[in-house]
Amino acid sequence: MSEVILKAEELSKTYALNKRKIPALSGVNLQVNKGEFVAIMGPSGSGKTTLLNVLGCLDKPTSGKMILDKVDVAKLPERELCKIRRDKIGFIFQTFNLLPYLNAAENVELPMENTKRPRSERRKRARELLELVGLSGREEHRPQRLSAGEQQRVAIARALANDPAMILADEPTGNLDTQNKYEIVRLLANLNIDRGTTIVMVTHDSQVASHTERMLLLQDGRITKEKQGLHLAKKKLVCPYCGGKIQPSDERCPNCRKRL
Amino acid sequence: MRAILVIIALGFSMAIMISIPSGIVANQEAAQRLTENFNSTISNMQEEINKTSTLIECSTSSGQGTFSSAPSGMPPGMPSGTPFGRFGQEEIFVNETVGDEIRSIDGVKDVVPFFEKSSNETTSETINTPRGEFTITRPLYTITGVCLNSSFIDDYSILPTNITAGRNLREGDSDVLVMSLNLTHYFGLAVGGKAEINGKSFTVVGICNSTGGGFTGTRTVYMNLSQAQAITGEIGNVSRFDVYAEDVSYVDGITEVINAAYSDLRVTTYKDRLTNFENMQTMYNETLNNAQSTLGQTETVATQEIIVAVVATSLIVLFVMLYTVRERTKEIGTLKAIGFSTWNVMSQFMLEGILISLMAGVAGIAIGSIGAPFLSSLLLPHISLFGGSSSSRFQSGFGSVSPGTTGSESVTAALSPQLMLLAFGVAVLLGALGSLYPAWRAARIRPAEAMRYE
Repeated sequence: MSEVILKAEELSKTYALNKRKIPALSGVNLQVNKGEFVAIMGPSGSGKTTLLNVLGCLDKPTSGKMILDKVDVAKLPERELCKIRRDKIGFIFQTFNLLPYLNAAENVELPMENTKRPRSERRKRARELLELVGLSGREEHRPQRLSAGEQQRVAIARALANDPAMILADEPTGNLDTQNKYEIVRLLANLNIDRGTTIVMVTHDSQVASHTERMLLLQDGRITKEKQGLHLAKKKLVCPYCGGKIQPSDERCPNCRKRL
Repeated sequence: MRAILVIIALGFSMAIMISIPSGIVANQEAAQRLTENFNSTISNMQEEINKTSTLIECSTSSGQGTFSSAPSGMPPGMPSGTPFGRFGQEEIFVNETVGDEIRSIDGVKDVVPFFEKSSNETTSETINTPRGEFTITRPLYTITGVCLNSSFIDDYSILPTNITAGRNLREGDSDVLVMSLNLTHYFGLAVGGKAEINGKSFTVVGICNSTGGGFTGTRTVYMNLSQAQAITGEIGNVSRFDVYAEDVSYVDGITEVINAAYSDLRVTTYKDRLTNFENMQTMYNETLNNAQSTLGQTETVATQEIIVAVVATSLIVLFVMLYTVRERTKEIGTLKAIGFSTWNVMSQFMLEGILISLMAGVAGIAIGSIGAPFLSSLLLPHISLFGGSSSSRFQSGFGSVSPGTTGSESVTAALSPQLMLLAFGVAVLLGALGSLYPAWRAARIRPAEAMRYE
């Protein structure tokens, strides 16, 4: 059995609105192993964003237990949480959230700002990560000079900066056109296969979600369904449609020509 | 762009903070100069009065008011009338022979005749007084004839004082004159030059600058008595006798005799001069007190203005930073999400606020050094004692005593490096102060909420 990166037990979150308590999460149980690529799906209002915020230590759960990389984070104070976010989590946002006055490399360096890494090493790492996401030569570009897809690639590079235990992606393809959407999902899938990066992705796009290996369906603040995605088959190098052998880089099954 | 506007706005506020103290300093310096001027005038006068206790001055002009009359009996370098005094009056003369008659009075040691007559040329100048602006036309200069008798010259101070160039008059001088410094500009002359007075040519042998006590106002040419009489067509006439008694004890007796015998002579003794002097002193003290109280008021106003400027600056920083925080909520959320601590975010915003006010400090110093005279004269009440100096190229008597209170040079001079440094310090402080709350707000933003904010 592989190592557990994220484990949530009976996670609840209630918002107080004019003295009325609105439950956003009501007892989520969840486990993500190291090297997994998981999608959390659900209709709007199901608590997807809340769950992601709690998992990302941006918000504290009202009750329940959450262990991230062997650390119980549910009760940690904010000054500890920011370190957890910095070192253990890499965020990818729907709207990319790059700092407009910094260039691509500087944006990638940003999470390393408060770490002990020397400046030259941060520079070098930012370059490497940008190369990894296919943006070498674009280091000096400001976000507004990059396309939406390219901006999201910079954001992915930024998320990887501190070698996090897990990447949390909040609708990473929500603001992208179809072509960029698949490119970004494939980039995440490749990172998962090549580097073993654990990725938890929230999306309501089932097409995108199907490219993960495990899909969790969130409904009314609770996980109600779980099914396998194409990615698992890709990892096992087997076509999910015809059972033929495939390569991770294949876009279509060499036998049945179905899109993977 | 917005930053530039903010910096300019703050800069103005800073400039106010800079220029007000500099204006105050300038005013204080002006008051200081005024006091010194007055003190030296007073002590000069005191000295003169003590020296001339045996002098009885008999002049033909009368009706000089207390205000306008400087104590007479001053050496001829001093005016016997201030700018407001003499002119406009008819000039009366008495015959020289009267002097001989006075000479025969018991106890009289010497009688020194003087001749003074206004020039035919006139000059106009505008003088600001507390009651309004007056344009005064007065004679351009006074022709003074001095009896160049060597025993008089040796015993009494009858010659012009403060010779700055050339030599003084001496016995036997003819066709030469000593000119007061403030006339040289008019004639365009230096020592050795030729001046034409009433159609006769004179060689300038000396320049005198009779600044004693600040009376730089008299413009005079000094010459041989008989020549002065000749060129003015007043042969045998004099305008003043300086009568010297053998001893102070004779003064009262002599005065009585002269008063009885010559009703058209106005007699002043050291007692009168002392009275005049005391009046003068009282007036000076009042003036100084006025200046002090005006200065006090100025400082109060300045303090209020500085407080307003400080508050305004802090508020500008506060609102700008609050706006910035609002505008950048998402960015702050992002920073916190990728691991920036509360302190990181807060310090960044504080730094930004300080940076803005520092740049504003630079702008403020730039605006302040250019606009300080203007700003301080705009914001501070003036100390007007006699309404500033006259606008003519000749300074009128009191104009030179009254300080050019908020004169531009003095304000610029008061913009010291220390003040600029202080302004920088204040800028940093206000920047920090103004961005404290916004930074705290920024740091408190919960990342989860910030992310939702568009």
